[in-house]
Amino acid sequence: MPTIQIKMKDLEHLLGRSITLSELGDRLPLVKGEIKGYDEATGEMKLELNDTNRPDLWCVEGVARQIRTHRLKKAVPYPFYNGKRKAAAVVEVAPSLKTIRPYIGACIARGLMISDEALVQLIQTQEKLSESFGRKRQLVSIGLYRFAEISFPVTYKTVRPDEVRFVPLGFDSAMTLRAILEKHPKGMTYAGILSTASEYPLLVDRENKILSFPPIINSRDVGEVQVGDRDLFVEVTGTDLRMVILTVNILAANLSDRGAGIEPVEVRYPYPTDFGRKITMPMGLAKPMTVALNHFNSALGETISMPKAVSVLKAYGYDAKSRGRNLAVSVPAYRDDLLHPVDVVEDFAISRGYESFEPEMPSEFTVGGLSPIEQFSDRARESMIGMGFQEVISNILTNREESVVRMNRPDSNGNGDLVMVENVMSQTYSALRNRIIPSLLRVEAASSKSFYPHRIFEAGDTAIMDAKAPEGTRTALKLAVLIAHPAANFSELHSGLDLLMYYIGKPYQLEPAVHPSFIDGRAGRIVSGGRAVGLIGELHPQVLQNWQIIMPCAAFELDLGLLV
Amino acid sequence: MSQEIEQLLSGLHPLERKVLATLKIRPTLWDHVLMQESGLDESRLSMAFGWLLTKGIAKVEEEKATPFVSITELGRKYAEHGIPEKRILNRLKAGEKISVKNLSELESLDSSEVSTALGNLRNKDHEVVWMGPGGVLEPTGASLPVMIEGLLPELLRRLSATAGSINESDLSSEEKHLLDDVLEKKWKTRGVIKRNEKKSKCLALTELGRDLVRQLTPDMGGVEEVAQLTPDLLKDDAWRGKSFRKYNIGLKPSRTAAGRKHPYREFLDSVKVKLVSMGFEEMRGPLVESEFWNSDALFMPQFHPARDIHDVYFVDHPKSVTSLPEPYAAQVGKTHETGWKTGSHGWRYSFDPERAKRLVLRSQGTSVSARTLAASPKIPGKYFSIARCFRYDLVDATHAPDFFQVEGIALGEAITFRTLLGLLKLFATEMAHATEVKYLPAYFPYTEPSVEMHVKHPKLGWMELGGAGLFRPEVTGPLGVKVPVIAWGLGLDRMAMVALGIGDIRDLFSSDLDLIRTKRARG
Repeated sequence: MPTIQIKMKDLEHLLGRSITLSELGDRLPLVKGEIKGYDEATGEMKLELNDTNRPDLWCVEGVARQIRTHRLKKAVPYPFYNGKRKAAAVVEVAPSLKTIRPYIGACIARGLMISDEALVQLIQTQEKLSESFGRKRQLVSIGLYRFAEISFPVTYKTVRPDEVRFVPLGFDSAMTLRAILEKHPKGMTYAGILSTASEYPLLVDRENKILSFPPIINSRDVGEVQVGDRDLFVEVTGTDLRMVILTVNILAANLSDRGAGIEPVEVRYPYPTDFGRKITMPMGLAKPMTVALNHFNSALGETISMPKAVSVLKAYGYDAKSRGRNLAVSVPAYRDDLLHPVDVVEDFAISRGYESFEPEMPSEFTVGGLSPIEQFSDRARESMIGMGFQEVISNILTNREESVVRMNRPDSNGNGDLVMVENVMSQTYSALRNRIIPSLLRVEAASSKSFYPHRIFEAGDTAIMDAKAPEGTRTALKLAVLIAHPAANFSELHSGLDLLMYYIGKPYQLEPAVHPSFIDGRAGRIVSGGRAVGLIGELHPQVLQNWQIIMPCAAFELDLGLLV
Repeated sequence: MSQEIEQLLSGLHPLERKVLATLKIRPTLWDHVLMQESGLDESRLSMAFGWLLTKGIAKVEEEKATPFVSITELGRKYAEHGIPEKRILNRLKAGEKISVKNLSELESLDSSEVSTALGNLRNKDHEVVWMGPGGVLEPTGASLPVMIEGLLPELLRRLSATAGSINESDLSSEEKHLLDDVLEKKWKTRGVIKRNEKKSKCLALTELGRDLVRQLTPDMGGVEEVAQLTPDLLKDDAWRGKSFRKYNIGLKPSRTAAGRKHPYREFLDSVKVKLVSMGFEEMRGPLVESEFWNSDALFMPQFHPARDIHDVYFVDHPKSVTSLPEPYAAQVGKTHETGWKTGSHGWRYSFDPERAKRLVLRSQGTSVSARTLAASPKIPGKYFSIARCFRYDLVDATHAPDFFQVEGIALGEAITFRTLLGLLKLFATEMAHATEVKYLPAYFPYTEPSVEMHVKHPKLGWMELGGAGLFRPEVTGPLGVKVPVIAWGLGLDRMAMVALGIGDIRDLFSSDLDLIRTKRARG
């Protein structure tokens, strides 16, 4: 979820009025925002914006715009979205980009006076859009340039890695594109995006002056925007044309909010796109959507009148028109998040305010209940508690060391049939447990100072390799029990098992078993209903020493799923 | 007689009575004297004295450390059979031919005893024995030093005769000299004598004690006291006419361990009971889940950042399910691409069924709800699960490696946004005893509208209790559900932590038995 740093003053400037902290708090539901911190002395505020599908709201301009819209009760007008104006400049695209980074969009912002705060916000927005929305520049990346330095048309082309050299931002000497990917910090960070390309994207002007090496780095000479700059060339490249256009639209609205006049730029493609070969941006994206008025009623649970639907949607920035029993709606071009009429319904509810809906208790009768395995597990737990055992719970994520090595299980078994994690974050949590006894030994190993005897149990989930299950594994609910004290032995625990099996109504026999975790001759397989359902035994001294336990332990474990 | 004294008198243990009877005659006594006079052994005396101290009847007037020597097990053996040096020398003098090899067998000595004895017999400054050809020992004619020959055996005999220890002040100066030599290893020794310090206490009666002993009679009217009621006493009716010794019930009892639920499980069990009482049926799902159920069925596009390698644990082996459930997989795929028949225009990308087969560790309990939707749920119906989930986060005070998620669904023709709010309100009052509720717009990929509920807990103040929403038609449609469905999730960990007085989420899964045994939910 994007979190942005803004200044209260800047927000008020964009709102065109002052706002108190509590009033802002009341308005933030409009943008699904939350104040995460405020420094009264500096006026700096941290805002979390929770709508992953509304990148236009991940900036102070967007937040202010949505709040202003609600106060105006209609959309803030942005005439440059209508797409009918003549382009002020042209970008030509070379055919070779089709397989490398096929799309580019652009616009020009003029008459701006870039203040310190505007520059900070512009850079933050560029960062949020290219990192979060653009998936670390993979899908979308942004370049900003001093307009005065560029002679149009600009060409978006490709070159071989060593064909050209230029001075990138942050460096003093000219480098080849290959050198930038190998040595420049941004090059090293984003080189992966171009790992399969044999030629690299390059943006040059009519004089062959290099603007940038998209999506990696701008040229220092043209692409270093500074406080006081008045005219900007804004360019967005990417692999998803809709996202490229949307990003241009958002940036245009933001720059317009800061006083710039927006001039469209035409991009000429040598290959077809979803929007044709000639695209002038900014431009409207989404087609109008038709929503039945009835849809509001059934989804929201109250009767909404047509005029109310229209006015509430308008107050959220929609263009909404009544069409008989339907509404024709569209959102401004800085949004492209409507997938389904339910999205319009939610915007209606947000615009009217969630607090304006009267909660209604669900009245349909349903019968509650636990799953059979959970009921069975609860019976087993109650029995163990009745016998004086303390319940424990453990994490399911564990590791091979605890589950296999310390349990004395043969190394030839590899991972001992553990479900292993592929993208391990910490070796401690790199596998799912398949048995619970190691979890109980972890408790015992950590509890030598707690007074004895220790009589503990855990009922919980484990993951078992099972070639017959669709997932290749099966989640098994198991019960494990452990006793630890100076005289802990098989027969004491056997009594407990015997009583448990009696209470849960499962006749069983013990068959001698050889298992490396237990002392030979003091371990048994628990067999019930003709199949092995668990193990019981005195833990092998080597196992106890592996856990650094110096107290005799006996344990049993039952697969409750096989018993229920 | 004051009531206090009367009570104290009647509650005296026989051991206490013995001590007090002695102190009545001599109000200040060193404990070893008291031991002799009262006829109690050390442990009984200290037990009785401990009780008298807690009752405020007796006190410690003075303490001092008395050095004493005591005999070891080995020392006792030598006291009885003589010291090995002497025994060996006697044999040699009697003309026996003894070699080093058969020494240990002859005198049943272990190897360290043999080497010590030989060391002393062949002391460079005082050779009593020398070794001939073939390791045969021969006496040199010299006698053993007086200390070894006479003093040591004598001291050992004396020690073993006097309960094993003698105060150092009672030793002769020769004996002290011997002790120093033995203990400082001038002679090779074998741990026959130990030197120690005894803490001795001078005991006295307090003022209360003095008042009390004045009332103390040798026997309390000739009535026999019973310490423990036994089956025999009952069977034979022998308890009649006897008095039962009164206990000091103010003493702290010894600790005992209970059989009990884990406090966090107890909390979750109460949630379970609550949900069942509200008409929710439990559902379960697997820990290892396909991305299909974990994300795709929930209309999370395959490029969604929360599906990234940095947010979800992927399984190393097996990597994928063998097949996807049809017709759901095809319908879900088409919905992602174009919206299928749901009225949506979809995410507009090319859905990859292979990606959907990839196995992950369940990252959200909602996957269990998705499975339920596809398994012909009851309509109307309400379901819940308390599912263990895994998030790819560094483990710290607010992130456990795996955790319980409480969530579920409610399906029905009559479900609307308002019933969603109503259900949340019910949770707020039933689960958190909330006095006020706030509903805020929220974002979840699979619900629209989406709500976040904040509640005012009577003790904790405002807190986020959970998130909910109506499942998007893109979720319900492809899974064959034609009625609106509420999806809800409750964040109860914070409430549990406060109730248990825990500040670190890892403590909910602590391995420390002391912590588990002592934690209990507050009101």
